[in-house]
Amino acid sequence: MSLGAALNPIIVAATACLALLAGLIGPRTFRRVGPTWIGLAGLVASVVVSVLWWGNRVEALDGAYRADQFTHLFNIIFAVCAAAALIYGIRESAAVDRRGEFVTLVLSSTAGMMLVAGAGDLITLFLGIEILSVALYVLCALEVWRERSLEAGLKYLIVGAVGSSIFLYGLALLFGATGTVNLTEIGDKLMVASFTDEPLLLAASALIIVGLGFKASAAPFHMWTPDVYEGAPTSVTAFMATATKAAAFAAFLRIYAGVLFDMVGEWQLAIAVVAAASVIVGNLAALVQTNLKRLLAFSSVAQAGYLLIGVAAGTIQGGEAVLYYLMAYAAMTLAAFSLVIIREREVEDGDELSALAGYGRARPVVGVIATLAMLSLAGFPPLAGFIGKFMLFGAAVEQDLTWLAVIGAVGSVVSLGYYLRVLRVMWFGDPGTQGPSRLLPMPAPVLGIGALGAVAVVAFGIAASPLVDVAREAATALLAG
Amino acid sequence: MSDMPWVTISILLPLAAGALLLLFPARSSGMARGIALAAALATFVSTDVVVHQFARDGAGPQLIDRQDWVSSLGLEWLVWVDGISVWLLLLTSALFLLAIGVAALRAPDRGPAFLGLLLLAEAGLIGLFSAGNLVLFYVFWEAMLIPFYFLIGTWGEGDRLRNTTRFVIYTMVGSLVMLVGIVATAYTAKQTTGQFTFDIDALRGVAFTRTESIWLFAAFALAFAIKLPLWPFHGWMPGAYGSAPILVTGLLAAVMSKAGVYGFLRIGVPLFPEGAETFKYPIILLALTGIIYGSLVAWRQTTMRMVVAYSSLAHLGFIALAIMSFDNQAGQGAVLQMVNHGIVVAAAFVIVGILSSRTGHEEVDDIGGLANGAPWLAGLFLVVTMASLAIPGSNAFAGEFFILSGVFRQDWWVATIASIGIVYAAVYMLRLYQSSMNGPLRGGEPRKVELTWADAAVLVPLIGAMAVLALWPAAIIGGTTRTVERTMAPAQLATPGFPQDLIKGSVTRNPPAEALPLPGDPDPAVPEVQQSQEPTP
Repeated sequence: MSLGAALNPIIVAATACLALLAGLIGPRTFRRVGPTWIGLAGLVASVVVSVLWWGNRVEALDGAYRADQFTHLFNIIFAVCAAAALIYGIRESAAVDRRGEFVTLVLSSTAGMMLVAGAGDLITLFLGIEILSVALYVLCALEVWRERSLEAGLKYLIVGAVGSSIFLYGLALLFGATGTVNLTEIGDKLMVASFTDEPLLLAASALIIVGLGFKASAAPFHMWTPDVYEGAPTSVTAFMATATKAAAFAAFLRIYAGVLFDMVGEWQLAIAVVAAASVIVGNLAALVQTNLKRLLAFSSVAQAGYLLIGVAAGTIQGGEAVLYYLMAYAAMTLAAFSLVIIREREVEDGDELSALAGYGRARPVVGVIATLAMLSLAGFPPLAGFIGKFMLFGAAVEQDLTWLAVIGAVGSVVSLGYYLRVLRVMWFGDPGTQGPSRLLPMPAPVLGIGALGAVAVVAFGIAASPLVDVAREAATALLAG
Repeated sequence: MSDMPWVTISILLPLAAGALLLLFPARSSGMARGIALAAALATFVSTDVVVHQFARDGAGPQLIDRQDWVSSLGLEWLVWVDGISVWLLLLTSALFLLAIGVAALRAPDRGPAFLGLLLLAEAGLIGLFSAGNLVLFYVFWEAMLIPFYFLIGTWGEGDRLRNTTRFVIYTMVGSLVMLVGIVATAYTAKQTTGQFTFDIDALRGVAFTRTESIWLFAAFALAFAIKLPLWPFHGWMPGAYGSAPILVTGLLAAVMSKAGVYGFLRIGVPLFPEGAETFKYPIILLALTGIIYGSLVAWRQTTMRMVVAYSSLAHLGFIALAIMSFDNQAGQGAVLQMVNHGIVVAAAFVIVGILSSRTGHEEVDDIGGLANGAPWLAGLFLVVTMASLAIPGSNAFAGEFFILSGVFRQDWWVATIASIGIVYAAVYMLRLYQSSMNGPLRGGEPRKVELTWADAAVLVPLIGAMAVLALWPAAIIGGTTRTVERTMAPAQLATPGFPQDLIKGSVTRNPPAEALPLPGDPDPAVPEVQQSQEPTP
């Protein structure tokens, strides 16, 4: 029993408090810049801790939090996404006068995610989900003077609360069926007694899928996604699209691949159906979008579907594929959002596709970043997205879920329709009269993060081997004693 | 020199140059043209080195470049050439050099992006023809689609968006099924051999069951049939060929159309012999239908480019049925004819391009009598026409003779029906020639149509290549013998009643036949059990 193992969430939560203070005291310039620097320092410290302490499971709080390779890998993903969000928010109008709140909320949400990834019992799991969600409800509505932003916050609050309560109900039934909240003990219970067709467990399993489906924006629980993604400040959207989704999948893997794997026959079909629905709905709906943020929202629904294919496989290979794909997905999504953020500052409605006409030619660097991101999201070889999908579909085929792999592959083909449309507008579109004429100096930090994301998309693809090994190590830790 | 990875260089050079050109601002086109031409020329030289280093009497893969990529997934960079692909590499780089020359010198309105996309398409095709790994093959198969999509969608004419979309959807449907086939091949082979690999040469000789072989062959064959295109999978062809800029149409017909037949020859026939044997006559029948249908439709086309486009549907049917006859001689003829057809169709499209751009008419009936003032053009056009209808003494005659005599000794009736296609070729090609060159003058100023030096610089190399191959077809045929024997051997062995004296190659079974259990043997080791999930203590 030591708190040491839980150092990551502790660092991030403490930094959140410091940032809040820094946003309130000191001279005006410090209040504007200080919180971001403090926040970044805390996140870097958390990454350093994760790298240094990489290793087998260490427990804290009586087993309520466990730090293993799985936790550490997720903690690194969360910290990197949060840092990117802080940097993307550097010129965010909502964040200028409320820098302290903005940083604090992002960091507390991150701390909640870390609790999810390291959850050793059901209570930590739920606490983590709630902490991350509540902070995000506020973040979505941060631009209080903009109706869209308020609408996003309210929608996300209502739908998110419904999702959380369903999830909690599922956890309660799981507790009722097994008599313990500790994940390891639940696993042991399931091992000795046969729970096949046990109604309590089936209901628990279904409710948990639904609850997490809301958080991961998997169809048919995705209806909030486009509105919230469009309405929220774009830096927050980028954070939600990457880190929140990763957290939901951390929970999926902890529960299904880590604990309920013995009952794979009971829940596999349910997750597979949700995965197939997400792939189909997300890709088809994205085809007709004219707003880039909405397009990315539906694309993220489809991406959740691909990731669920790996969860449905229910094996280490599946988990490994999900972990690799989450890293690749974070890189390509952050790169894609840098385009929106840069363009949004320059023209009103900069997130409309039409505002991007000819933008690639006017801004080749941004154009290349976005091109790599889109091609990778579409699963174009040899980029990271291709390797990830290859692993996900391979894991499915190996578990005789070939039909699911086929749906995933069909979805990827359909997705080329809208990803390539973005590229065509960007490179070959006619800017017309008010097109990319208005070009402001580019914010270097945003461009830097976008470029890093694009480089990662290429590097993760070409030099995938070490990353695959790390993902495998982390996935194996799910089942380690 | 000799240890440089020339095959890899031939792929990466146009790839890098193409990517670079996409970044060029539209106005700096002078430098972009220089870079594009230099890259295309360097690629051509590089493929020449490949041909030079290639050992003509070799049977298997040569000049192998292998690099690990993600070894745990069976992904690797593996490229090589053999007696089939080496000629396609040369054809691709030569035709793209000419195309980029035309685009750079004659069409100043085509900016760096156009040249860059052409180079990317070249990289995709060269990569496809040299891929030694199924996943890499798929990667290039998809990759070449994207530059063509942008080339047609951006610079095309007519209802280009609808036509490109249809083109992409048709191709994607095929390639998707192929992707599933690729993954399924690797997993099925693993159950038999214990190895998880996508290496095409290592998968050769894997003892699939008959059912597996049939299904896997079908998954690949659909993609190849659409790309070929084999009748009735040619629905995308008229639209895409009709809307593309004529230069791109020429490349589609001359080079990209070879991808489908190449797939049959590289993957379909040698990897899934039982499947190929099962689908032998269905595909031959489709090819025969395509020959006759393509010829008839070509005859009735109103625009010049579509006459040539449909003629190429008929010619590719010839090549497809040569491959599916499993005859060594027909197979060698198919390789020769792939090159011949590429050259002849490219030359035909150059002439159609000259005619339509100088006269402003695309329709066959709108122009006529131009021979009078443009004797050089008329002369070269006549040469191309004669080559296209495979008159004895032309390069195509050598190829078609090999094909027909090879097919004849397998199935005389197939050869008989196929030869009707040659007769039809005379009808539609001569109509094209006569109506534009002879008769009363209409729709154009003959002197404006006459060849310029720049036109000659493009046409003369093509005609020169035709002359060389007409007089010396052995230049290619001689280098294909062993490879074709090796490629056809599995299918020949799988065909009941195939004449034994015509089987020259051999197959190494994988796993070796003696390792397979005989009836009555104790149950062999069960294929590796799926990873067992240990309980969490």
